Amino acid sequence: MANRTANTALYVHGTNPQYLIDKTYRQRIYDSLYWKEHCFGLTVTGVMEKAVSLTSIGGCFGRTNRPTEFLCLLLKLLQLQPDRDMVDALVDQEDFKYLRALALVYFRMTQKPKDIYSKLEPLYKDYRKLRKRLHSGKHEIICMDELVDKLLTTQSVFSLSLPLMTLRRKMEDLGDLPPRISPLDETDSETDSDSELEEEDK
Amino acid sequence: MEKQNAYGEQKKTDSFRRNWDTESYEKKARDREQQLRIEEEDERRRRKGLKSLARQPADAAKPREMLQARKQTVDLEGMVGKVQVVQASSAASGQPGFYCSVCDVTVKDSLTYLDHINGKNHQRMLNRGMKVASETVDDVLAKLESLRRIRKQRLKQSSADYDFHEQVKRQELLKEEKRQRRKRAQAQKKKKRQQHKSKADDGEEIDTETGSIDDNDDMLAAMGFSSFGASKRT
Repeated sequence: MANRTANTALYVHGTNPQYLIDKTYRQRIYDSLYWKEHCFGLTVTGVMEKAVSLTSIGGCFGRTNRPTEFLCLLLKLLQLQPDRDMVDALVDQEDFKYLRALALVYFRMTQKPKDIYSKLEPLYKDYRKLRKRLHSGKHEIICMDELVDKLLTTQSVFSLSLPLMTLRRKMEDLGDLPPRISPLDETDSETDSDSELEEEDK
Repeated sequence: MEKQNAYGEQKKTDSFRRNWDTESYEKKARDREQQLRIEEEDERRRRKGLKSLARQPADAAKPREMLQARKQTVDLEGMVGKVQVVQASSAASGQPGFYCSVCDVTVKDSLTYLDHINGKNHQRMLNRGMKVASETVDDVLAKLESLRRIRKQRLKQSSADYDFHEQVKRQELLKEEKRQRRKRAQAQKKKKRQQHKSKADDGEEIDTETGSIDDNDDMLAAMGFSSFGASKRT
């Protein structure tokens, strides 16, 4: 079947990776024209090609709850289950922002909390604008760092429920993660040290 | 052989019987027999739990290829506005709907058609399995590189195409052309109006000579309406 998960795919969070998208959403995606017409037989590189030409991110929209192309491609990725290093390559590339956004959401859905924190937090530095399709069908501007923040701190994006994630505070207490150093902190400390140096000079 | 007369024309035979085209009818009968034989064979296979002969692709011996994404978009609106003769026979190709020439199947709506061409049976007819090729990181990196190259090229092209001064010139030319077109149209309108006016004048003169218009007017006035709007009187 065109909707079946790849037979090499492993269970993620204890289920079939495609089940990470709620059934109602999944069914809508399977029924959508974009899925049937454009997502059939895609490989990971095929998904990349489509994701590069995306113009918005988002969940479902309109009165009939039509899934966005972004959501269809996300399900396709879940279906194909690319290797970890492939996903890393997609997240790390900086040229195509919609491709990165897609890879980010996929990463958040499938990886372990520790990896998610260490991979996504550096992306707070990415301020590029993305167009987000609201449920009403209108568009809104959201920046990449906002998306990252939502992925790290909330349980859902685009009314798409995300797997549970351990709080960062708790992980720090357990010693799994070092305390986060914000890029702002870095610049602050630099300027502080500079000023200190200047004072010393005086 | 038909009989011919002395002038080389075909002579009408006195027989009232029809001449049958035996060859074509023989072929038809053969085909029907063949079809019946296949159906019988299919029935036997079905009882054994095997797949029917008709559904198997011609080159079933070849190893199956990997599933591939379509290169072109599916043409769902290609037949909009076209007229097609619907055949009374049960052949799928003559029926209205979306026809799949690979499987000789006609389905009635676009979503079902998409389901059909995405389906297992259709892909099997194309000698393809339902699994996509597996890819590695290298493929992904190579694809990224090629996508970057394409984007760069496109940017270069679009910046080469765009020249500010050229654009301004083109816009001015367009404006000038538009203005001239409007002028011409106005002149033509004026001319037409004048012609129409002179014609109307001529017409009335002729009518007044015969006196028919006035008579008519009197009659119309008596009936309750004086004149119709179309005729222009000065």
